[in-house]
Formats: sequence, structure tokens, C-alpha cells
Amino acid sequence: MIFRDLKEMGILGINNRVGRYILRHNKRANYPLVDNKVLTAQRAEAWGIATPENYLIVENYGSLKNLHIKLLDYDSFVIKPSKGSQGNGIIVIKEIIKEEKNGEVRILCRRSNDKLMEIDEVKHHISGILSGLYSLGGQSDTAIIQAKIDKHPIFDDFSYGGIPDIRVIVFEGFPVMSMVRLPTKSSDGRANLHQGAIGAGLNLSNGWTNNAVIRNQVIDVHPDTGHHLSGLKLPFWREILELAARCYDMVELGYLGADIVLTPDQGPILLELNARPGLGIQIANLAGLVPRLEDIRLNAPKDLLAKERVEYSMKKF
Amino acid sequence: MKKFVVFITGLLIILPMTLLFYKSEVLNLSLIPQMVDDVWNFHLTVKPKGEQLSFSFPIPKPGPGQKISDEKLRTKDIEVFIDSSSDSSLATWSAKEPIKVRMTYSARVDLDRVVYKNIPKDYTERYPKGLQKYLKIPQLLPEDITAIETLERAILEGSEDKTSLVRKIYYYVEEEIQRNTAIKTIHETLNTGKGSPLIKAKLFNIMARRNGVPSRIVILARMPDLKDDQENKIRFTFANEVFLSNKWVPIDTNRGYFAERPDTFMVIYRNYEEVEKLISKKKVSYSIQAERARINRYNKAEFRKEVVKSDSIFSKFSLYRLPLPLQTMFTTILLIPIGTLVLSLARNIIGVPTFGIFTPILLALFFKETSFGFGMLFFFIVVLIGIFERYILDKFYLLAVPRLSIILTMIIMLMISYAFFSVDLAFISQKHLAFFPIVIITTIIERLSIQLAEEGIVNTLKTLFGTLVISVLVYSLYFISPLEMFMFTNPELLFTIIGLLILVGKYKGYRLSEFIRFRDLVRQKKKMESQPHDLP
Repeated sequence: MIFRDLKEMGILGINNRVGRYILRHNKRANYPLVDNKVLTAQRAEAWGIATPENYLIVENYGSLKNLHIKLLDYDSFVIKPSKGSQGNGIIVIKEIIKEEKNGEVRILCRRSNDKLMEIDEVKHHISGILSGLYSLGGQSDTAIIQAKIDKHPIFDDFSYGGIPDIRVIVFEGFPVMSMVRLPTKSSDGRANLHQGAIGAGLNLSNGWTNNAVIRNQVIDVHPDTGHHLSGLKLPFWREILELAARCYDMVELGYLGADIVLTPDQGPILLELNARPGLGIQIANLAGLVPRLEDIRLNAPKDLLAKERVEYSMKKF
Repeated sequence: MKKFVVFITGLLIILPMTLLFYKSEVLNLSLIPQMVDDVWNFHLTVKPKGEQLSFSFPIPKPGPGQKISDEKLRTKDIEVFIDSSSDSSLATWSAKEPIKVRMTYSARVDLDRVVYKNIPKDYTERYPKGLQKYLKIPQLLPEDITAIETLERAILEGSEDKTSLVRKIYYYVEEEIQRNTAIKTIHETLNTGKGSPLIKAKLFNIMARRNGVPSRIVILARMPDLKDDQENKIRFTFANEVFLSNKWVPIDTNRGYFAERPDTFMVIYRNYEEVEKLISKKKVSYSIQAERARINRYNKAEFRKEVVKSDSIFSKFSLYRLPLPLQTMFTTILLIPIGTLVLSLARNIIGVPTFGIFTPILLALFFKETSFGFGMLFFFIVVLIGIFERYILDKFYLLAVPRLSIILTMIIMLMISYAFFSVDLAFISQKHLAFFPIVIITTIIERLSIQLAEEGIVNTLKTLFGTLVISVLVYSLYFISPLEMFMFTNPELLFTIIGLLILVGKYKGYRLSEFIRFRDLVRQKKKMESQPHDLP
């Protein structure tokens, strides 16, 4: 059979992911906690899990009118849909420019890719978010205006444009696989594998990269910076894994993807959670998820603290 | 839990199968109704010769063993009058100027075998006035009359009733007169014992009338041989009908049918004498054609009788008991579950990407209700509107609801322009069809434009292609008419489909698309394993 190789490597397929892991280990009732970023942030605050600061929550079209006045309070911010997925609908504004011409005030926003946006365009984008253009099921949504996170200096040589993020797959509270997503020129500065960002698998035991791919192709160097990707070791590695493991306690979803960013000052903070994390992480790691998931399911001791679970995973995988 | 699922699934799949077996083996019911495909498309073209302001030509008329539908007469500014007052129909075209163009007549003809078994002895002496003309003996040469008289004395000896008289004349003409198309008069036939089909029919006619049996020559068209696909052109041929025990009985001395007309013959005109001059090659040129209509239909009525007769529980729960419009509807929608099965297989086992979940099914129904060509055109236009929305409407910064409403309005505008430029109005004339595409297409366009924005043109085209492939697949199910009939006849198979859907839903293996997605992973891994390991 053509699938023999996949099976031997323990690659997790979509049907298997949904049928055996998501449907059995994720309670539907808990989905809103991860699908809605406003709820995630509230819950995270209660649990003492660090997340980016939410400046404003835009819930209706009416509040769009005077939005620019409020936005002028901030130097930079990120606009994202509360129920978005795969990074769709996210705009990063790194600078607000106020221009006065012939008595008329023009407000321009400089995006992370240096494109300029008129304030009306920004408002239109937000109204698109509100109408559900980017939300999972197409229902109406709220927009979050969030603090822009700065890039940790460790990534200076490994990232083009945006902020890299670290995806950790957590199964029953145990980190099972991880990768760091490094933005490239072709991904337009986004940490999105579909759009051409680099996915670099991480050794769970020490946070060293073990392999890197771009659009399913193995690569050695970052195409834009030219640095060898094998030279990257993530700092705060244990903290990162612990943060991810604690998210399991927070939302009680057995099969979970935690997206974590490294800030220069705060260390690792939680960006968002995903109840249906993608399977591309296996390509980034050149390894299958199934053996690790089954090991947790069958062998891992129950009722451990997050710290102990991380210890188990770091030893095992 | 697992055993329970297996049990239910097994039950769902096996139970309807058992029912099928019971129906066919114990109740002896057919699993689908018999096919009937004796429908012909018949075409006639006639053109008068010389300067004629008016001319007539026989056209077929419904009668025993002959149903006619979808009659079309194309005349182009020329008046046509159809006289159907007798047993036959005669069309008369007339114009103010000499007719120089070809007239056409076409119809769908459903032919059945006509056969009368055991015609009782007939001693009728007097016939009603209307039949007198069928007793009139044509003018013959004196020596021919003598010859016929001698013949009659020899062959009709001892016949008391008209039925046996007719039978003897039939045997004589059928067996003793050899077919020879060169012999074209009664005189020659009596001298040589040979004759053309028309002359044989004429001789039979004369002898029947001489013995007091109303008789007439019938113009027939013999349907082309099905094995011979090329030759659709057919010619007129001749046979007889005699009036025995109050009905017209077909007789064919040329091909040897007594009281029978096979379903390959179609009656064009029932009294040759009346139209002899009209169809003469001197007056008109004509050609006739017939081919099998491509529609196969099932004899539902017969099957219904069969089911009712079986007096089983199935006769009470048969869909054949429903009124016809409902039957038609169910024939269509009973294939939808099979379509969903195809869709599930394509999405979950092959991994074909589609827009929305049931969009391919709806699209397939749209193809079915309109036509494939129109459906594709529509789909193509939808893609264009999606691109339009993405690249032009986006610049207007509109809120979602008005924006969608603009798209919807544009679709209505499209339908209007289609109506202007096309004669095929079938899809608009039916209410449900007009409403059907508007809403669905609007949502497809919106999804398309979002996907264009989020995933780029390549992925969108892949999804479009996937959607199209599956909808064409589901659409093609409708061409397997036995499948349609099979589901309609045995709707309990829906349980089997649920069972199969459970199996697909339980499938946890890889999708075929994942083989491609993880192909590089496998290759890299193998390459790494084959290389000698570096020392740490």
C-alpha cells in the first residue's frame, strides 16, 4: 500500500486526528474558550498566564466612528478578529502618522510590511472583521486591538519582518511536538506556513532546531537572512513548554495547539490557542505524531502537575 | 461501544439487502420495472413539384398500437390545415404563391404490436353506409375479371363465413404471388404470378371486396432495423385491413402477418385510394426518417400493478402509490444520498477540497435541472463575479450585508441578460429553479472571494476544481437510469447508504491527498536514514 511509509513513520492524518484525538479528547463546550480570543484572554488572566495586552475590543459598528481618536493614544498595535484562524484578518500597525495638509488632518498607519493604510481603510478592515469575514463559521465577530509584540533579539537573524511564534502541540497536558514558525519575505512577514513561512522543528528536550521546511521542502538556511537554521536554540525553553502545558489545565482540551511568542522583556507569553492544530508540524520535525500521542495515551502517569508533565515530555521525546 | 457501532452498521447494510432478496426470490417481484424503449422520432419532409398553391400529404394519426406525441409542423408563413375526420389524418398546406420550400412534420411515435387472436366467424350481410366505399370494386379488364373468377372458384371452395374467406385469400396472395417490384399491374400479376408489394395489397383488396368483405389498402412505414444504425431513411410500404367482426383487422400479405401488425410498422394512411394521387412522385417529393428516441423509460404502471398484486407489505409502502409529480420528485432526490456518499468518499478518503459541504451536491442538482452546458457557463460566470468582488467591490469598503446584496442583485441581472440572449428559457420559467441559484450562488461567490483573499488564486482554483469534479460526478449519477429506478423501487436502500456513510465516517486512515502532502517528508526521512550517521 502507498500509505505504508506514512504508517511506519506514525504520521497523523486528518481523519485520524479528528476521529481519534479531537472528537474523543476535546469537549465541544470548551471550544469557545480557544476559538474566541477575547474569552481566551479573560481566562488566561484569571489563570495568571501572560498574554498580549488588549487595548480595545470593538464590538459594534457604532464605535468605529471615533476609533481613530482612541487609536492615536498608541504608537503601535495589532488588529485581529476574535474568532479568526490561521492568522487571517490580522493587521500589524507599527506606526501612526498624523499629517496636516491645508487644515485637514490625515491619519496614516504604517503596517509591519511598511505599506501605508489610510485610517478609513483600517476602519473598513475592522468592519469586515465585525461582519464575520474572517471568523471560523462566518458569524459576526468582534475585533481586538492589541499591543504589538516586539521581536526577541534571538530571532534577529532568523526572521524577516514579523514576529516568529512557537507552536506546541499539547496532548492531555503533555507537550508532544513543537516548532517555531519564522516569517519570510514570501510569507509577507507572517508566521503562517501556508503563506510560505519557515517551519523549524524543535527538539522537545532542549529547544534546538532539528530541521526546517519551507512549503514542505527541507532547507538549511533562511532564504532572506542567509543564516543557518540549525544554529537556533530557543531560550526559556522549559518556561515555554510549561506555559503550553498549563493551557491544558486552563481550557481542558485534550488535543491542543498553543501558540507562544517570546517577548524581549516578559519572556514567553501565550498568543492564542487552537483546538484543531494543523498537521504541518510533522513535516517541520520530520517525525510523526502518532507514536508520541499513543505513548501519552497508554503510558503517561495521570494527575501530574504541568511542571511534571513537561519533565516527562522532555525526557521522553 | 465499538461492537455496538459494528452491529448497527451491519444491520443497516444487511437488512435492506435481505429485503431485496426476499422481494426478488420469495415474492418474485422484479427489482426494477421493465424497460420500454419503443419510442421513435419520426420525421417527414415534403415538397410539392411544379407550381402548386396548395398540396396535401398524409400524416400519421393515433390509433390501435400507435401513440403519437410532440407533433411539430413547421410551415414558414404557409397555412396548414389538418383533416382528421376519418381514420387517418391529411395535412393540407396552402399559400398565395406557389410553394417552393420543404414542409416538415415530426413527431414522437410509440408503437405496439397489434394482434387479434381467434377472430370469430363473421356472417355479416349488410354493412353501414360509411363502409360502403370499402366494398366498391375497382375497374378491371374483362379478361382479368375472368381470371379472378377462375381463381376464386379454385381457392374459395366451401367457405361459409367471411373470416375463413379472408384467411383463404390471404394464404393465396401471401404464398402464391411472388414478390417482384417490377410488376406493377394486376394484369401482369395474374399472368405471371408475381407482383410488387402494392400490387399484392391491391389484389388482396379486390378479392376481399368481390367477396363482400370491406377492405382497404394501408400505407405503412417500416421502422429501420436497429442493428443498422446508419440507415434512418425509410420508405412507404403497403398492407391491408379488412373489416371483420366489427373491427378493422390488419393483414399483411407481403410479410406474412394475419390479424397482426408488428411494432415495427407504423400506419401512415388507412385508405390508399384516397391519397394515391397526392403521394405520387409526379406531384411531390418527400422523404421519411425514423430513429429510436434516446429516452429510455420504465414501465412504472405495469410495475405498480405487479407490486399491488403481490399483496405484500411492500405494496402498501411502495413509492409507486404516490401521485406522479411526487414520484418524479422522489426519483430525483433519492439519488442525493448516493451523491453524499460520493462526496464523503471524495472528501474524507481522497481529500478533494470543496467549497462548503453540500455545494457540489447543489451544483449537481443545478446541472440536472438546467443543462450541463448552462450549468458550466453559470459556474464560470460565478467565478468571474467572485474575482470582481475581490478586486473591484473590495475597493468600495462596503459592509457585508449590502455587499452580498449587490452580488445577489448582479446574479438577477445576469439571469435577465441570459433570458434576452437565449431561447432556452426552461430554467427561468420554473419558479423553484429561479430561486434556487440566486441564494446558493451568492454564498458560493462570497466564500470564493474570501478564499481568494486568504489563500490566493492557486488554492482557490484547486478548491474550485475539486468542487466541479465532485458535482460532475454526482451529476453523472443521474445518467445511470437503472440506478435511479433501483433506488425508487427499493427506497429501503437508504438505510444501506446510512450504513456505508457510518463506515466512511469511521475511516481513520490517511487520505490520498495526504500521501502527496507528506511525500517529501517520507523522502527526506528515508534519505537521512540511508546516509551514514555523523558522530555527535
